[in-house]
Amino acid sequence: MTGWLPISLREHDLEIKKDWPSFRTMLFDPRHQCATWRGELHPQINIYTVEIEYSMKQLIDGPKVRVISPSLVRCPGNNEGSLPHMYDRDTDPYLCLFDPRAREWTGWMSISKKIIPWTIDWLACYEDWLLTGVWHGGGRHVTTFSGMHFDLEAHQ
Amino acid sequence: MTVNITSGLDPFLDPIDRILAEIAFSIQLPPSLHAKAVGRYEAVRKHLEASAAFQDDIEHFYPQGSMAIDATISTRGTDDEYDIDIIAQLGGAFHNMQPLDVLSELENALYGYRGLTVKRQSRCVTLEYADNMHLDISPVVRDYGYKDRQSRIMHAKGPHYSSEDSRVPTNAYAFVEWFKSRTPNETRVRDAFQKRWLNDTRFRADAEVDDVPDQTHFGAKNMATLALQLIKRYRNIRYSDPRRTGRMPPSVMLAYYAALTSRPGQRLADALIGICSAIIVDIAVSSGAGQMLHVANPEYSSDVFTDRWPENIAQQDLFARDLNELVTGLNHLRSGNADLTKMPGWLREMFGERVVSNVIDRIAKEKGSAIQMSNQSYTNRGGLLVAAPTLVTPAVAKTPPVIQPSPHTFFGDAP
Repeated sequence: MTGWLPISLREHDLEIKKDWPSFRTMLFDPRHQCATWRGELHPQINIYTVEIEYSMKQLIDGPKVRVISPSLVRCPGNNEGSLPHMYDRDTDPYLCLFDPRAREWTGWMSISKKIIPWTIDWLACYEDWLLTGVWHGGGRHVTTFSGMHFDLEAHQ
Repeated sequence: MTVNITSGLDPFLDPIDRILAEIAFSIQLPPSLHAKAVGRYEAVRKHLEASAAFQDDIEHFYPQGSMAIDATISTRGTDDEYDIDIIAQLGGAFHNMQPLDVLSELENALYGYRGLTVKRQSRCVTLEYADNMHLDISPVVRDYGYKDRQSRIMHAKGPHYSSEDSRVPTNAYAFVEWFKSRTPNETRVRDAFQKRWLNDTRFRADAEVDDVPDQTHFGAKNMATLALQLIKRYRNIRYSDPRRTGRMPPSVMLAYYAALTSRPGQRLADALIGICSAIIVDIAVSSGAGQMLHVANPEYSSDVFTDRWPENIAQQDLFARDLNELVTGLNHLRSGNADLTKMPGWLREMFGERVVSNVIDRIAKEKGSAIQMSNQSYTNRGGLLVAAPTLVTPAVAKTPPVIQPSPHTFFGDAP
């Protein structure tokens, strides 16, 4: 957090394309203050196309990162759930990369230098989860939710 | 001024190579056992030199095959049995003795040695140690006047003399020199494996020493030799199937192809695929002509590596199909779209259940730990690196330094 104002969409856009050559701007709408970027990541074994959706209304919740292809594989019955560390697993799944309660990311931080590396981390852990059945990246799950208060259950 | 020229790639950086390198690491002769093997064959030499039959008649006593080229791996489908091949070059009266008599003389001289089991084979005498190490000592006599160490190895099935008893032309020493000349040390491979061994608790437990001796031998020093270890392991797994009878493709033939296809700076998966492809092509050509594969020592054409395998065209075609299966699987792994739920099962089928399970678990734990401790780094193509920064390769050096790992907590809906 370096200034009073959050990082602007334009600044995010320039930085993402500078740091990650495979990323392209799919939508940039200054009027509604939202943008979408899409790019390829090759964390370990497989190549993934991911999409990052962000608007200035998500300064606390953070961008939504979805894996566009290949389809994420589900493992029903796994201790971590059929697809670990996701939000809206059964409707519109997107990755849960950080603990919003701990302010690990806010709109004053970089998407390029935080969210995309964390997406790479998530994908690497996901691959190992498919290989071993165990999520080795640590983390927590939300057990109950009421308003902005999270009841956390330590995980691993 | 000392110039330290680095070469090769760190096999633990590329994700696919890392899996293969960890498998090779798990099956290769540990440095502590290498030292033990050297001590053992030196002791055996002294024992033989002190015997009446061999006194003054051992001209050379040296490792051959896998031991000489650092390609020793556990035997057949096992995880802790090792065969060490030794040549005993004999002089004097042995030049005029029948092959069966030479082998019997060696067997008798070793009988009762340290209470070990002694077995006479058709070309060697085996000493079986309690820790599952086997010392195969092959008696040869030198062809004087020819290239260094050109010899004849004693061949006799026994127990009686046979018209098939013979002295088989060989020059294991020249082949080793040829192999080494074609597979020079790759410093990044050597350093990565040395570091890997030093980090391994098994090494420290086995060695039972506080400091690693300066002369510690850390084994494989290039991708070609690692690939050779892997293809031997795959062959061992395939031929441990009780439904397969007869001999398996000889290690020395695989070593020939490993050296033949060796390229500096190649990736481990490329090296493995290169060996397989060269054998597949040669078998296809031979089978197409209705002939059996013929591979000879490049330093001595009378030393035929394929003299006992294949026995027929069907045997070589079977091995070619095995290799094709391995290549197809490796290419799928590298396609960027592999089915990761099936990958562990496939790897276990190729390289063995226990080894592969341990390797996959170990890598996942190390990676997860690195992520949790923010020890990872990234490439600008979206790759994750968890290796030590000192071993970073030129390709990896393109990583944008501005992107540093930062701590974060995976979150999400309850399971």
